[in-house]
Amino acid sequence: MISLGSQGKNTFMEAVNIKSGANVLECYQCGKCVSTCPVSQYMDFPPREIMQMIKLGLRNECYMANSHWFCLTCSACSGRCPREIDIPAVMEAIRHLAIEENYVNDSKKVREIRKFHEIFLEMIKRYGRNYELRMMAEFNIRTRNLFKDVHLAPKALLKGKIPLGVKPLKSAKAIKRMYAMAEKLEKKK
Amino acid sequence: MARVGVFVCFCGANIAEYLDVPQVVEEVKRIREVKYAVDYKYMCSDPGQGLIRDAIVQHKLTSIVVAACSPRMHEKTFRKALSDAGMNPYLLEVANIREHSSWVHQKNKKAATDKAMDLCRMAVAKSIANEQLHEISVPVTKRALVIGGGIAGIQAALDIADARIPVVLVEKSPSIGGKMAQLDETFPTLDCSQCILTPKMVDVASHPYIELIPYAEVIELQGFVGNYKAKIKKKASYVNFKTCTGCGACWQKCPVKVANEYNLGLDKRKAIYTPFPQAVPNKPVIDAEHCTMLLKGKCGICAKVCQPGAIDYQMQDEVIEREIGAVVVATGYDMWDPTPYEEYGVGRFKDIITSLEFERMVSANGPTNGVPLRPSDGKVPKNVVFIKCIGSRDEAKGIEYCSKICCMYTTKHTILLHHKVHDSHAYVFYMDIRAAGKGYEEFVKKAQTDTAATYLRGRVSKIYKKGDKLMVRGEDAQIGQVVEVEADLVVLATAVSAPKDNPDLARLLGISYDKYGYLSEAHPKLRPVETAKAGIFLAGCTQAPKDIPETVSQASACAAKVCGLFAGDTMKKDPMVSTINIEYCSGCLNCINVCPYTAIVTDEVPIGHGSKELRTVAYINEGVCQGCGSCVAICRSMAINLAGFTDPQIINEIVSI
Repeated sequence: MISLGSQGKNTFMEAVNIKSGANVLECYQCGKCVSTCPVSQYMDFPPREIMQMIKLGLRNECYMANSHWFCLTCSACSGRCPREIDIPAVMEAIRHLAIEENYVNDSKKVREIRKFHEIFLEMIKRYGRNYELRMMAEFNIRTRNLFKDVHLAPKALLKGKIPLGVKPLKSAKAIKRMYAMAEKLEKKK
Repeated sequence: MARVGVFVCFCGANIAEYLDVPQVVEEVKRIREVKYAVDYKYMCSDPGQGLIRDAIVQHKLTSIVVAACSPRMHEKTFRKALSDAGMNPYLLEVANIREHSSWVHQKNKKAATDKAMDLCRMAVAKSIANEQLHEISVPVTKRALVIGGGIAGIQAALDIADARIPVVLVEKSPSIGGKMAQLDETFPTLDCSQCILTPKMVDVASHPYIELIPYAEVIELQGFVGNYKAKIKKKASYVNFKTCTGCGACWQKCPVKVANEYNLGLDKRKAIYTPFPQAVPNKPVIDAEHCTMLLKGKCGICAKVCQPGAIDYQMQDEVIEREIGAVVVATGYDMWDPTPYEEYGVGRFKDIITSLEFERMVSANGPTNGVPLRPSDGKVPKNVVFIKCIGSRDEAKGIEYCSKICCMYTTKHTILLHHKVHDSHAYVFYMDIRAAGKGYEEFVKKAQTDTAATYLRGRVSKIYKKGDKLMVRGEDAQIGQVVEVEADLVVLATAVSAPKDNPDLARLLGISYDKYGYLSEAHPKLRPVETAKAGIFLAGCTQAPKDIPETVSQASACAAKVCGLFAGDTMKKDPMVSTINIEYCSGCLNCINVCPYTAIVTDEVPIGHGSKELRTVAYINEGVCQGCGSCVAICRSMAINLAGFTDPQIINEIVSI
């Protein structure tokens, strides 16, 4: 059961609104986002329920949900939202707040997703772009599941979906500088 | 011999597609009396009507049958075509071969054609016995009676009076204003209710064409449209309104304190009182149930302090009569009593109030000077839970219908709460948000986003006390979980219900009411302000729950109807009314019991020619009769005949098939 009325101001909603630039209060629970979202069926709580949970100030329940980790940020939901709410930005805001407050869903799936994000960022840092083959290998090694999706590799290779090498971008250096700056900023906090 | 013309309509494809129109024409031509029969694509169009007009002249027709759509649709059109050709319009018969044949037998063309032929044969047979009838003229008394002085009655009275038609406005309580005078601000514009209402109230009091009779009730209405006689009982006010100056010395000195109805008992008034400071007329009345002078003969302070000497303890109820031509009923509504909601602790917990009580509290002239306060300890509430659909849409405890205004007034309440108590928070338990109206949806959005009212979708299951807080438990269906809100104050959005006196009033006026007690309109869509009884109109919530804009529109619509009724010195009405052959009338008076329009009264006639002894017979007032035919069916001596539906006509019809 959810207790309301005793927790005072809804600081969680304020934080989400500031971070995302959206106004969650605008949501009138029509559910168009849920039926639009390609991954809503895999989420603990579909986007509509997440919006209501933010409105009720259910901070911990929101953080512990896997919804914001499953969100692909594809923006199909916000593209169709009749109240023009930037739902991916809200999901992003919850991801950030959850990490900042060290309150993250520890399920295997979420761990894998976070690992995927980390490797992806490493790839960008190193090559300035994604290197699919290495990315797949790294992901399988680090998640200790060496043969995951290996059966798809020959077909994908033949179709040229997985290039064997990678050409680093000309602007790779600039991207590295961006990373360095971001890390500096992170440390200042 | 009769010469009948038959005109069969294709109605585009509506009739022609499903039955064989030319065959119907051929068939009716075989009837001896039919001298002319023709079909046409659209008989109601001008060339179609032209066919009828020309045929009447050319073939010297004596009656006309139009086989087309329902007479409800075009009987008037074709009657006019007959008149234009110099024929009595009531010699027309309509055979309804669209609604009664082509539309309902779309899958069987032969059967549909056969049925259309039968219908035409019947109409021809009936038309042969048709008689020339003439519209009835009824004289009109150009004065309107408006019952109820809320916003509906006020608006209707002002609009009628502005057309220079005298109005008698009767109000039950000591002041006009009604429920609207109790409201603080109105949705969706948040303009102050008093500020927009009180000028209209003053207009009513000062209008040269309005006779305002406050503290009075209509106790009898006799007569018929244009010619009613109303008896009005003026309750004894014990104050002479003519000499009273409304100075207020009497109610300041009066020692008796009574629960104040205007503020729903949230504070006290005196035994001599005006309902509220802006009352119209601003003259006090003495509450005879509580005044010690009237009860025990002791006190008399008000008479002592009254300088003009307006107090009169000997005053009696007075019955006055007014002749009127039309009535506008605007008796408003009652707030539904939420006592059956025991699981919410209604009656046990002081901090559960109704929406109108909340309205009084946030009102600037209310008992708490515009700040909502907890009735238990007088503290300002921080968390306020509003529960919608209390009594509405609840078949077990309340009423089936949606009260229409609660969604919006609750939205308004959340905004008003935020205005009055800045650090408060509103929670709203709702089942649906019904915001259909100009600016309404935007208003709800404003409440949800600007004042951040939390909307929880679900009915509250129970309320219990924890310390000095109320715990409100319900489901939030939006996340599928049970929620419990710690509340300082709970406001119940109680339903709108019909006034308790409505059934009595309906009986008195001779109009019908529905199972809830709302007065019934003549047609739910096309005659929403008229009743089945001619000359009686409905305005406002007495017909069904509605908001202020709708009420005002309906009141103005009533005024237009009244003005239309009074446009000429006499009124015309259809001659299809019952007549009694008193030679046959046995005086059983069963017809009086079945007449839904109270059109039949008793009459005394000599027993025989030249005899002085009298016997009782029934008498039908043709001004009131609507031609329903109930009396014809009940009359055992067959003394009653309905013009246009006489026995020979009906028998002809039956014999023809």
